[in-house]
Amino acid sequence: MPESIRERVMVRFERCVGCHSCELACRVAHSRSGSLAVAILEEPKPKRRIFVEQAAESPAPFLCRHCEDAPCVRCCPTGALRFDEASGLVVYGVDRCIGCHACVMACPFGVIQPGAGDLFVVKCDRCPDRDLPACVEACPTKALVLERDFLLDRRRRTVRRFVEAARTAGTEADFVATGSIGNP
Amino acid sequence: MKTVRTVCPYCAVGCHLDLVVENGRITGLEYALDAPINAGRLCAKGHAALDILSHPQRLTHPLRRSPSGWKRVSWDEALDTAAEQIQRILSTHGPQSLAFLATAKGTNEENYLVQKLARVLGTHNVDHCARLCHASTLTGLGPMLGMGAATNPLWDLARSHCLFFVGSNLAENHPVAFQWVQKAKDAGARILVADPRRTPTAWIADLYLPVRPGTDLALFAAMLHVIFQEGLQNDRFIADRTTGVEALRASVMRTDPHWAARITGVPARDIVRAARLYATASKAALIYCMGVTQHVFGTETVRACAALALVTGHVGKEGSGLFPVRGQDNVQGACDMGALSGLLPGYRPVTDAEARSFFEKAWGLPSGTLPTTAGLTVTEIEQAAGKTIQSLIAIGENPVVTSPNSSKTREALQRLPFFLVVDLFLTETAELAHLVLPAAAWAEKSGSRTNTDRRVQWSSQVVPPPGEARPDWAILVSLAHRLGLAKYFPYESPEDVLEEIRHAVPAYKGITPERLRQSTCGIPWPCPDEAHPGTPVLYENRFATEDGLAKLYPLEFAGLPETPDADYPFCLTTGRMTLHYNSGAMTRRTESLLSRAPYLTVEVHPEDAAREGLKSQDHVWVITRRGSIKAQVHLTRAITPGVVFIPFHFPETNRLTQDVLDPQAKIPEYKSAACRLEKVIEG
Repeated sequence: MPESIRERVMVRFERCVGCHSCELACRVAHSRSGSLAVAILEEPKPKRRIFVEQAAESPAPFLCRHCEDAPCVRCCPTGALRFDEASGLVVYGVDRCIGCHACVMACPFGVIQPGAGDLFVVKCDRCPDRDLPACVEACPTKALVLERDFLLDRRRRTVRRFVEAARTAGTEADFVATGSIGNP
Repeated sequence: MKTVRTVCPYCAVGCHLDLVVENGRITGLEYALDAPINAGRLCAKGHAALDILSHPQRLTHPLRRSPSGWKRVSWDEALDTAAEQIQRILSTHGPQSLAFLATAKGTNEENYLVQKLARVLGTHNVDHCARLCHASTLTGLGPMLGMGAATNPLWDLARSHCLFFVGSNLAENHPVAFQWVQKAKDAGARILVADPRRTPTAWIADLYLPVRPGTDLALFAAMLHVIFQEGLQNDRFIADRTTGVEALRASVMRTDPHWAARITGVPARDIVRAARLYATASKAALIYCMGVTQHVFGTETVRACAALALVTGHVGKEGSGLFPVRGQDNVQGACDMGALSGLLPGYRPVTDAEARSFFEKAWGLPSGTLPTTAGLTVTEIEQAAGKTIQSLIAIGENPVVTSPNSSKTREALQRLPFFLVVDLFLTETAELAHLVLPAAAWAEKSGSRTNTDRRVQWSSQVVPPPGEARPDWAILVSLAHRLGLAKYFPYESPEDVLEEIRHAVPAYKGITPERLRQSTCGIPWPCPDEAHPGTPVLYENRFATEDGLAKLYPLEFAGLPETPDADYPFCLTTGRMTLHYNSGAMTRRTESLLSRAPYLTVEVHPEDAAREGLKSQDHVWVITRRGSIKAQVHLTRAITPGVVFIPFHFPETNRLTQDVLDPQAKIPEYKSAACRLEKVIEG
């Protein structure tokens, strides 16, 4: 299994401009045709797995967290939802699903929704066939990032902040970098 | 913060759920991961169970009808009025003018008290909704096997090698129980499903039989024919443990698969396959539900189910048995407690003089108090309302929604001189009452409940009821006291009532409140003494009949009372759906469930829709000889062409159903009616 599958999609809320590109990309990625032009006409309409919600007047994308001790997995009577240790994802096996909606009710984030057509519930599968999930690829402001990129990015930003601080106000930054500030 | 374990109030699987209590209030629900029954799993309705407790529409005070609308009254005034009215009617019209509807949503103790109150007052006019779902199981299985209950625990399904579902949609209606079906399938079991709809239960079927509504009897008869013809019967079991096989064999001589194929719509070769798969499996389970029981030949069809299990020897061992899956959390218990017009507690017929004198002595009644003939059933009470029945006390029942041809039921209930309803909400039925008393919901009272596989479980009170609402048992005891019956109702707690039940119902003899509180997954009856662990599998060595042998009956056929014709070309069938429950009194008030299934829909096959000029989401009138209702079209290939399906959780549905009863069980025909569809023209 490629290592990238282990990684979750993280959200940098401050970057989201509410363009809904992720939702559209998700729909297309989970359509039968996989092409925007054709997907628009598909019946039943392809469903998105990511939701851009409006919260405190700013847009915020939200999707399955693939929890390790997931309530949806705990309540699923047939084992259609299970936590896959190898990939670190909550995976959905439609062949075992009976459409009982227990997971829909149990998910504390409201990111599992009743399906349409031949799927009984719809949730993020982290695009198993793609290197980069469709939503991440589509996000123009890089508000959505893979966990690996997220950590890398956060580390670099922190380092950059330290370096910039060091250049402007020398001594204080030295203390921050060695961790002595706040812990005299 | 602490958690209290309770039993889910919805279907009859009996799942455990833990309620989180902080400062005397329920603040959340936790999965009972260590519960042996559901291991933390809950279905959508279980998840939404808490919404009922804190619902803003809950009744919190007694209400009395007045010319200007509902008037809030005190409990004293309400109970005095009720007692006065009952006494007036009793003295002018006699006890046969009183009727009681018990509830499968109440505890065993409450059901016991309802029937006791009716019988102490001198009438057997007490019944409950089992009459509308599994009465034919009692009348069908009772005489054949000795008891009309499931023979094995639900988890036994996992041990079966062949699971035959007839008229049961376990996946949608009892989702948690479906885990054992999946387990069996994983272990290589064959799954057979006979249903007019390719339900979620049928998705995993190895063989799906699209039987026409109401024709299951012909399917069973043809399977029995094949079994006898091919010598697949279990001769040893038949010889050792049954009687009457010759008459049965003779009655199925002519019912070959080609004959059945014409009636049922199932290809003859599939009937043969099904018979072979079921008969030759070393362990086979037959699971049936309302698709089999809610028919004018419900009793006959249940008998055919049992006959199939008996001639193949698939009864009385682990993994092999008959599973009539009950719909409500305590419908089994309410039956056990004798909340039925023809049966005293413990299934002793009211026509049995010995049984009557046993209860007269046990309850301290003068000899001859109990009438010698059966009382009126749910549907008969409604028919007689305002005529011979002058007073009706309905607890947790909503007949205006659940009874067949329900417009007639509404009219009948309006004729009643005195109508008392005890419920959680002002339901469609409560709106017609003269007096409405607020009841406590499941977590607001303690008591025992019996799930579909006869497992008696204790559910504790977690919080007090809202406002002035009271548990049914307390209401019944106070009403009995005001009627001057205090000496017959000396109870102070549900535990006191259970102590009496233990002496009245032999199967519950060993089930003490202490044992129930301590047991982690309840005690399956029969439990004859306090050291007995309970009986998960029935009939291992002998049947509960007098001679210990199962009785086989010949099968008889009659035509369906109403079949599609030129004016009404479709067959209408009704049933349940995942997100709603029975009359919808609770689930249609639960926003999280209602918002996901808000409309009444009618399932139509695309071919039928094309012929009628209907598109998905069109609004149509569904019309039968009884009435017409508006529904939204849902196109699906899951339904047999020529059949349309409507869920029965909406108040309109039962306006359409037929008003005919099975002669023995008095169960109404809900599953087939001739109908037509007409597009609604707006404006």
